[in-house]
Amino acid sequence: MANTSRLYLTCIRNTLEAAMCLQNFPCQEVERHNKPEVELKTSPELLLNPVLICRNEAEKCLIDSSINSLRISLKVKQADELENILTKKFLRFLSMRAEAFQVLRRKPVQGYDISFLVTNYHCEEMQKHKLIDFIVQFMEDIDKEISELKLSVNTRGRLVATEFLKQFI
Amino acid sequence: MAEFMEADNAEAIITRIEHKSRKIESLLKQHKPVEALKTALEGSPPNTKDERCKSANWIVVHRAIMAIKDVDSLFSYLDPEYYDILMKYLYRGLSTGDRPTCDQCLRIHEKLTERAGLGCILRSLADTVNIV
Repeated sequence: MANTSRLYLTCIRNTLEAAMCLQNFPCQEVERHNKPEVELKTSPELLLNPVLICRNEAEKCLIDSSINSLRISLKVKQADELENILTKKFLRFLSMRAEAFQVLRRKPVQGYDISFLVTNYHCEEMQKHKLIDFIVQFMEDIDKEISELKLSVNTRGRLVATEFLKQFI
Repeated sequence: MAEFMEADNAEAIITRIEHKSRKIESLLKQHKPVEALKTALEGSPPNTKDERCKSANWIVVHRAIMAIKDVDSLFSYLDPEYYDILMKYLYRGLSTGDRPTCDQCLRIHEKLTERAGLGCILRSLADTVNIV
């Protein structure tokens, strides 16, 4: 179980190291504009093949790369209804504060839970291997966070129910 | 000359893939998974845009990949010229989402990256012409 997780994260890390080769590329259509090509997809020659890495039926990661930007979309494992709701709320909370994260995208790509958009400007300001470390660390921490949240919800629910029902004993 | 080759190209390729598939089955029965994989990767990706040929070839390669038990010995026997094509097929396998396929592909991917380096991954990302 832990082994496939390690392999999955290694595969994503290697693919990101290879795909994160970004350079500045001004827009070809409109002069003096500079747009992330992976989002607009105006010219096919600027895009690389998108790569989908699945760990199993529930978890996957889509890595879309282009000449000046890279988009990473994650689908997190959600075992039951409660985890579904917790994941949605927690990741929405993070996405709303995307400004603080800089590389986070405000809305996840259709079919995924959360998306990152890394541009050449990010690669110039920040170190490439640190960016990749951040993303892989994020993936590891998300699972832990969601389990912790689920545990605290269940504990609180149990405490509240015990207290409430005491009055009926 | 070019037109008539194109017309029965798809059929010819599918027949060739079927031959390959029979050869691979016999190699797997003889417990030679590495030769089976080499045969499966030879002559692919075929120079065709036809989806059926690509799917047929993928099924054959998938069979060979799933039959591999010992990943380390695979690389001592496999020639470097097959690394790029194998990487493309591994990514195709990873995109299926089927648990045993993904497990096997992740295992081979790690070892292949150690062996072939990041260049192999980048070539499979950048090659938009010969998609597997």
